[in-house]
Amino acid sequence: MAEVLLKDVVKEYGSVEAVKKLNLCCNDKEFLVLLGPSGCGKSSTLRMIAGLEDITRGQISIGGVVVNDTHPSKRDIAMVFETYALYPHKTVFENMAYPLRVRKTPGPEIDQKVRRAAEILEIESFLDRYPRQLSGGQKQRVAIGRAIVREPKVFLMDEPISHLDAKLRSHMRGELKHLHKELNQTFIYVSHDQTEAMAMADRIAVMNLGELQQFDTPQNIFNKPVNTFVAGFVGDPPMNFLPSLQTLEGDKWVLKFDGFTLKVSEKLRSQIIASGTKFQQDLEVILGARPEHIILKTERTSEEDMAGKIYITEPLGSYMIVDVMLGGERIKVRADIGFNVEPDDRVFVELPPDKIQLFNAKTSNSIIHPMDDVSGCAANGQ
Amino acid sequence: MHSSRLKQVRKGLVIGLFVLWTVVPIIFMISSSFKGTGDIFTLPAIGDWWGLMKFLFFFSASLTQFKEIFLHGPFLAHLLHSFVATALSVIISVPVGLAAAYALSRARIPGKKHLYFWVISTRMAPPIAVMVPLYVMWQTFGILHSMVGLVLAYVTFNLPFSIWLMRGFIDAIPSELEEAAYVDGKSRIGAFIDVVFPLIRPGVGATVILCSMFAWNDYLFALILGGGRTKTLPIGIGELASATSILWGQIMAGGLVMIIPMVVLGLIIRKSLVTGLTMGAMRG
Repeated sequence: MAEVLLKDVVKEYGSVEAVKKLNLCCNDKEFLVLLGPSGCGKSSTLRMIAGLEDITRGQISIGGVVVNDTHPSKRDIAMVFETYALYPHKTVFENMAYPLRVRKTPGPEIDQKVRRAAEILEIESFLDRYPRQLSGGQKQRVAIGRAIVREPKVFLMDEPISHLDAKLRSHMRGELKHLHKELNQTFIYVSHDQTEAMAMADRIAVMNLGELQQFDTPQNIFNKPVNTFVAGFVGDPPMNFLPSLQTLEGDKWVLKFDGFTLKVSEKLRSQIIASGTKFQQDLEVILGARPEHIILKTERTSEEDMAGKIYITEPLGSYMIVDVMLGGERIKVRADIGFNVEPDDRVFVELPPDKIQLFNAKTSNSIIHPMDDVSGCAANGQ
Repeated sequence: MHSSRLKQVRKGLVIGLFVLWTVVPIIFMISSSFKGTGDIFTLPAIGDWWGLMKFLFFFSASLTQFKEIFLHGPFLAHLLHSFVATALSVIISVPVGLAAAYALSRARIPGKKHLYFWVISTRMAPPIAVMVPLYVMWQTFGILHSMVGLVLAYVTFNLPFSIWLMRGFIDAIPSELEEAAYVDGKSRIGAFIDVVFPLIRPGVGATVILCSMFAWNDYLFALILGGGRTKTLPIGIGELASATSILWGQIMAGGLVMIIPMVVLGLIIRKSLVTGLTMGAMRG
C-alpha cells in the first residue's frame, strides 16, 4: 500500500506562502495529476513529497508512515525531473543501473532489470551512449527508465514531457498512461498542461496561488468545476464567461446579460436548489458556457436564440473555433468545419440551459457545484 | 586564396615568435645545466649559426653541475622542504576548499554573498602587503621559521583561492543531479562523491596545479617566514648567487630540477582536465 497523504501542509519561502494548508489524499495505485499555472505551488508540493524541500508546517505520510523528517533516499520514491537530471558522466545503462547499484543489487539482476526497462521504453540500442549523445525524447525515456528499474512505492514526475515537441508529447502521454497500467503503482504527476492532466489522470488536483481549488476525476473537473478558476483553466479553448444578473421575471427565474434573457431550466433550477443555495433576487452571477456546448445557427429556431455577429473563424482541420460577438462580449464556439460563415455574418447562438455553469460573481464559486471536501480524503475513490 | 595564405604565414610568424620567447630560455637553461662552468659562457660569434646550434644542442654534455648540487650542498634538504611544504599546503587547501566551496554553493546561509566576498577579498591584497602583520602573528604563535608556519602561510593564501575556483565549478553542476541521486537512494555525501565530484574533477585538478605552483614557486614567504631550517628550493637556488660568486651552472641545474615536478604534475592531471562533461545531460 502506498497512499500518499498530505495534512495541512504549508510551505513558506521567507514571507511568501507557496503552499497554503494543503490537504490531499492520493490513493494506492492512483494516477494523480497536480495541475495549475506556474507558481501555483504544484512543484513545491511534489518536492515536499519527495523530501527535496522541507515542510514548513503540516504532515506528509507515504504508505502510512510519516516522512516529514525522512531523507529522500529513505522514502522509497522514484522521481523524473523536468530537466531529466541524467548523470552526464555515466552511460545510459549506468544511469539506469544507478538506483540498483546504490541498493547493492547483484550484477546479473541489474543487467536483467535495466534491459527489461530499456525494452519497455524502446531504448535498448542506446545503452552504451552518454546522455549528451541523446535527443530530448531519448533523454526523457532514460530518465523514466531510471525511475522504473526498481519498484518504488511512489513515482513522482515533475513535468517530464513539457519540453518535448507537441507530437512526441502526445505520444508520450499515451506511453505514460500505459506504463502506469503496466506497473500498477502510485503516480503523482505535476503538469501545467490541462490536456495532459485530462488524458492521463485518475484524479486531478487543480491548484492556484498555493491553494487546492478542486480535487476530482477529470470528468467532474471538466463538467462540474467548483469555481471560475477551474472552469477557465480546464478545456481548450477555455470556458466562456458572461457577467449576468440572476433575477425573477414574473414567476420565472431568468439570467440577464447585455440585453439578452435566458430562462433558467427546470434542471438547472433543481440543481441550484439541490446545492442548498437559496435563490437570490438580483444576484450578480457569471454564466459559464463551454465552446463545445454552445450551438451556432444561421437561422433563429427558438425564441431564446441570441443574435450575434461573427468576429473571426479559425478552421482547425476537423473542427473550427468561431469567435462571436454577443452584445459587447466575445465568446468562442466550437463548430463543425462545414459551418460556412464569414466575419460580420449574422448568426444565432443557443446556450443549452442544461449545460451552462453559474458562478457567484463576488466569490467566483460555483452556485450549482459547491465545494465540499476538497481534499478528496473522504471520497476515497475515483 | 592569396589572403588566406598570408594569414597562415602571419599566424605562423606570431606562433614562432611566441615559442622563441617562451621556449628559448628553457632550452638555454637545460643546455647550460649539462655544461661545465666554463662552457656556459663560450658564446658563439654573431652570425655563427652553426656555432649557436652547437652552443644550444650539440655540446659535450656532463653531469658536473648536478653532481655538485646534489652531492656537495644542502640542495636535497631544500628539495625535501619544498616537497613537504607544497604537498601539505595542497593536501589542506584543496579538500578544505572543496568542502567550503560546496557549502557556499549549495547551503542556504544568510549573508552568503558577503561571506564569499570576504573569502576572496583576502586573496586580493598582494602577499607582501600582509607580510609584516603575518610575521608578528607567526612570531607570537611561535611558528616563525618552522614548517608548520610556512605551510600555514601557504594555506592562508591557497585556501581562499581554492574556494573561489572550485565554487565556480560546483555552481555549474545543476543541483537536480544531486537531488536525482538522493531519490535514487544516496545520502548528501554519497551524492557528492558519486555525482558532483566526478563532474568537477577538472576543476579540482586545476586547483591542485595552481595551488601547488603557488607554494612550489614561492620565494617571499619562504624567505621571510621560513628561515634557515625550512629553506625551500627557490631560496636555496637564490643563495647560489652570492656577493662573491654566481654559480650559473648550479643555478641552471637547480632550476631544471625544480621545474620537473610541476611538469610531471601537469601531465598527470591533464588527463582529468577534460571539461565539457556536463554538456547535454540536462535538457536542451
